Amino acid sequence: MALAARILHRVLEVITIGLLVLLAVLVITAVTFRYGLNASLPWYDEVASVLLAWITYYGAALAALRRGHLGFSGLVLSLPPLPRQALFVLAEVVVYAVFVSMAWAGWVVLQVMAGETLVALDWVPLQVTQSVVPIGCALFILAQILSTPAAWARSRAGRDAEAEEIEAEIAKAEREARR
Amino acid sequence: MTAVLILIGLLALILINVPIAVAICAVALLGMVAMNGELGLYNAALTLFDGATSFPLIAIPLFILAGALMNTGGISRRLIAFVSALVGFARGGLAMVNVGVSLFFAEISGSAVADVAAIGSVLIPAMKKRRYRPTFAAAVTSSSASLAIIIPPSIPMILYGAMADTSIVQLFVAGIVPGLLGGFAMLCLCYWFAVRYDLPREEAFSLPRLGAAAREAFWALLLPVIILGGIFGGIVTATEGAGLAVLAALLIGGVIYRELRLVELYGAMIEGVTQTAVVMLLVATSAVLGLHLTEIELPQNLARAITEATSNQYVVLILLNILLLVLGMFLHGAAAIILVVPIVLPLIHAVGIDPVHFGIILTLNLAIGQQTPPVASVLVTACSIAKTDIWATTRTNLAFIVVLAVMVLLVTYVPAIPMTLVEHFYR
Repeated sequence: MALAARILHRVLEVITIGLLVLLAVLVITAVTFRYGLNASLPWYDEVASVLLAWITYYGAALAALRRGHLGFSGLVLSLPPLPRQALFVLAEVVVYAVFVSMAWAGWVVLQVMAGETLVALDWVPLQVTQSVVPIGCALFILAQILSTPAAWARSRAGRDAEAEEIEAEIAKAEREARR
Repeated sequence: MTAVLILIGLLALILINVPIAVAICAVALLGMVAMNGELGLYNAALTLFDGATSFPLIAIPLFILAGALMNTGGISRRLIAFVSALVGFARGGLAMVNVGVSLFFAEISGSAVADVAAIGSVLIPAMKKRRYRPTFAAAVTSSSASLAIIIPPSIPMILYGAMADTSIVQLFVAGIVPGLLGGFAMLCLCYWFAVRYDLPREEAFSLPRLGAAAREAFWALLLPVIILGGIFGGIVTATEGAGLAVLAALLIGGVIYRELRLVELYGAMIEGVTQTAVVMLLVATSAVLGLHLTEIELPQNLARAITEATSNQYVVLILLNILLLVLGMFLHGAAAIILVVPIVLPLIHAVGIDPVHFGIILTLNLAIGQQTPPVASVLVTACSIAKTDIWATTRTNLAFIVVLAVMVLLVTYVPAIPMTLVEHFYR
């Protein structure tokens, strides 16, 4: 499980960073074309927006793997262990219900889009751009499953992911400051 | 009725620690399926995609990337040295350096926690060594970092601009005067504390040293000038300005200072892209909820109900300020913006409040929210670096919170403070 989580983490890292670099290069190129060469790229807005949506869903799965999505843990952590762990299970069930239904609905929508393309680039099918919803939701579910053992243990110990993130950030910054 | 159910459901899910983005999506799905059956699910899946394709929001990952490049490219270290040479001679100099650096630098990487960790881990130990009280060191670091969210470039403002369909450039311009005013007020407060606690000066002011620090930091200082100049001058949009920021930070860190470290850059980029995705997932799921709320006409009905009771701008603004303060105590800034803006926007328009003006009010309220427990990640970070208790720090921090609160009142009721520059340049 831990190994699978590490592999998924690395794969998602590479995908999201690749998308981010692509987005940065695209925006810089578009600005250069417009002001340097006085020629605009008509497909730039549309493609950049699609890249942002891709970063959203592949990155959301990465954040799920680290349990980094914003939430309010104050009430749950103040409860005794038994109700706390019961609510942990309930919250997990809600997450799975949402992403399973969205993965399925996203897949159905994809079938309906056969033959349609982007407006400015008519050789890019919408089935490719919109595939990020079912794929992203499926990855989110996988990430949620793989991160469950660590999250369960954290909840049992009465800690939250944010406290750990703060500790990690401080440790990193202090290493940096000592250099 | 449906609206009440949605609100209660949302609150219940958030309280049992379902991630807020997921909680938003869950109640929206229930509502949409109840109304339109299976069709509701397809609509939701489509909206999840469309909601994430917002062009102005592309500025967020790009500014975050630029911040990561600056952090690992030796640029931030030079800014600290420059500000020290500039204000370190004053009584309580290190506290003032802290305020000055925060205003330049904080909130740029998109993760307030990472920024406070970066600034605080350098300055808080230095302050403790010079016999500053740890609670004071944590308080000044934390509050000045939060004030910085109204100084451009600001991720919360980009988020608000996109959600409210308002000019991000005008929001940036509107933040300048309140930001400088608030910064000045905090410097005065530091001086007051310095006299009261008899805090030390750093080295005497020396023009040659300032000159040397400025030469070292020249390119780093040029960076915001180029980018903000380009944006304010109307040459580039906020998104393109963010693209330029990436390019400039890459050139300055990699070619001029030659301090870009790839391993760290990779780590910083992962952090940045995760932060972006966390915010963007909220944006996307709130688009789904927004679709459903519009179907049941909640924002319009709310606007009508309140304007029937009062159409006095000032009363409405007080109500909004209270709502934002309470939300800010329990929610992270991004989540609060994404939840509140779509619902109150029709009200803002109905009573004739300028959306740019409201954006500054909202952002400042969230700055206070970052300082008030229970949810106050910036404060918590500063306290853990200083190894102080959160509540003890909050006692000292109250003085800084008062400064922020006075800024909220000033900005709310003297619209000229944020809006004069906007009126002058854009209207």
